[in-house]
Amino acid sequence: MTMSELLTILDYQFFRHALAAALLTSVLAAMVGTYIVSRKIVFIGGGITHASFGGIGLAYYMGLNPIMGAAVFGIMTALGIEWISGKGNIREDSAIAILWSLGMALGIIFVFMTPGYAPNLMSFLFGSILSVGKTDLYTLAGFSLLTLFIFTVFFRPILYTAFDPEFAKIKGIPVGTYRYMMSVIMALAIVLSIRTVGIILVLSIFTIPQITAMLFTRNFALIIPLAALWGITGSVAGLFAAYYMNIPSGASIIFFLTIQLMVVKLIVTLQRQVQRRSG
Amino acid sequence: MKKPLLILDNIRTGYNSDPVLRDVSLEVYPLDFIGVIGPNGGGKTTLIKAILGLLPLFSGHIHFPSGRPKTGYLPQASQIDRSFPITVKEVISSGLETSDKFLPFLSSAKKEKVRKMMDETGLGSLSSRPIGELSGGQLQKTFLCRALIDEPDLLILDEPNTHVDKHFEQELHEWLKELNKNMTILLVSHDIGTISPMVKTIACVNRTLHYHPSNQLSEEVLKVYNCPVDLIAHGPVPHRVLKSHDHE
Repeated sequence: MTMSELLTILDYQFFRHALAAALLTSVLAAMVGTYIVSRKIVFIGGGITHASFGGIGLAYYMGLNPIMGAAVFGIMTALGIEWISGKGNIREDSAIAILWSLGMALGIIFVFMTPGYAPNLMSFLFGSILSVGKTDLYTLAGFSLLTLFIFTVFFRPILYTAFDPEFAKIKGIPVGTYRYMMSVIMALAIVLSIRTVGIILVLSIFTIPQITAMLFTRNFALIIPLAALWGITGSVAGLFAAYYMNIPSGASIIFFLTIQLMVVKLIVTLQRQVQRRSG
Repeated sequence: MKKPLLILDNIRTGYNSDPVLRDVSLEVYPLDFIGVIGPNGGGKTTLIKAILGLLPLFSGHIHFPSGRPKTGYLPQASQIDRSFPITVKEVISSGLETSDKFLPFLSSAKKEKVRKMMDETGLGSLSSRPIGELSGGQLQKTFLCRALIDEPDLLILDEPNTHVDKHFEQELHEWLKELNKNMTILLVSHDIGTISPMVKTIACVNRTLHYHPSNQLSEEVLKVYNCPVDLIAHGPVPHRVLKSHDHE
């Protein structure tokens, strides 16, 4: 297959939309994922992701927009977890596990109660980047810009409250406000990315590019652009592969992100060994 | 008589609803240098977190007769997540944050202040280094700079001797002595041997607090007042009778 043959696919609008969604999701997940990975709260992300399925089910049952339902459930879960972790007398990991499975259970019950067949359900579990519409793109673009703005303007308090909340509090930074704000951003970023790769796979675009970036730098501000770059290369490669090999796009993207991480890790390790031997 | 900087009036505090400390009273005066000693789990860190306003008081009061002093704080090394992607410069700069007007970018005056402090303390070349790549001494120095950069009136240090070598310990000793000319210091340690030559007075914390207005403690005193700390001394232990405690 020649390059021009490979690119004929760009004539299709649905594929251009899918590429734009992959790009935007990668940039959004790069910012929010760096926060998640640095704070070691991937498990909280998992809780938000799965609890939001309850919202999708409820929205289905009531005939509303499923992403709206997911957003409401996601935000409530994120705020709930942040509140619980601030209280300190409830085991946070257990609380997350409860919300995680409760959300999934509610989702299944509501979908079951909805009359008729739910054809789009699979697309929420596994993503459907090839059916992303203009409205989805505008929402994703708008929210990515907002997040970029917040990360630029409030970079220091976001970093300091994530790193050492007690010291930040002593310095007069409103730690609670920033933590709750980041919880909401986390929930919305996850829910909007569900469209791209689905509930089951969404956490990987918030973690794998960051882990790849952290092979090169341990500087929060530098991890973000590097993670965006690795996110874009992995998801674009995954998208092309999905189309030409006729495999599900979400799974293909995750597969390519992981292969990319392994290859980069191997190269970096070999390079360091060579350096050590010659140095 | 000088006005106290801070007064702990019969406080009871702890985590959740479980009081770790009871009936704690203490007056701290400007330019005091108090060593807070006691066994692990006795409530030393709880005490300073209450002073810092990080823990609720179940009863009692904390007064600041001249207003809340500007406070620098060095947390215990174990409380710091060394794998967090943050650089030396960023850590030190965080000490300059205030609750006043928020600016998205650090002013050039503040940047200059951070640079100067790093140069003076020998951290200049490590400025962009992530904290995960520092030695124990460099890490403690970084966090001490964070505590000091805003020129506090009260400096609170929680076990600054953890994971550091003898050389840094000596350096720290000289540094604190110099700083004490201008600021009040509370120094927490489980090891009285290393801190007693530095501090002026000692507060022994084990569920409650006993204050010894001297830096000399004999074994008998520690036993009588139920302060189960390891007494490490080089040469004969100076023996001195302290006045009895108000409480008990």
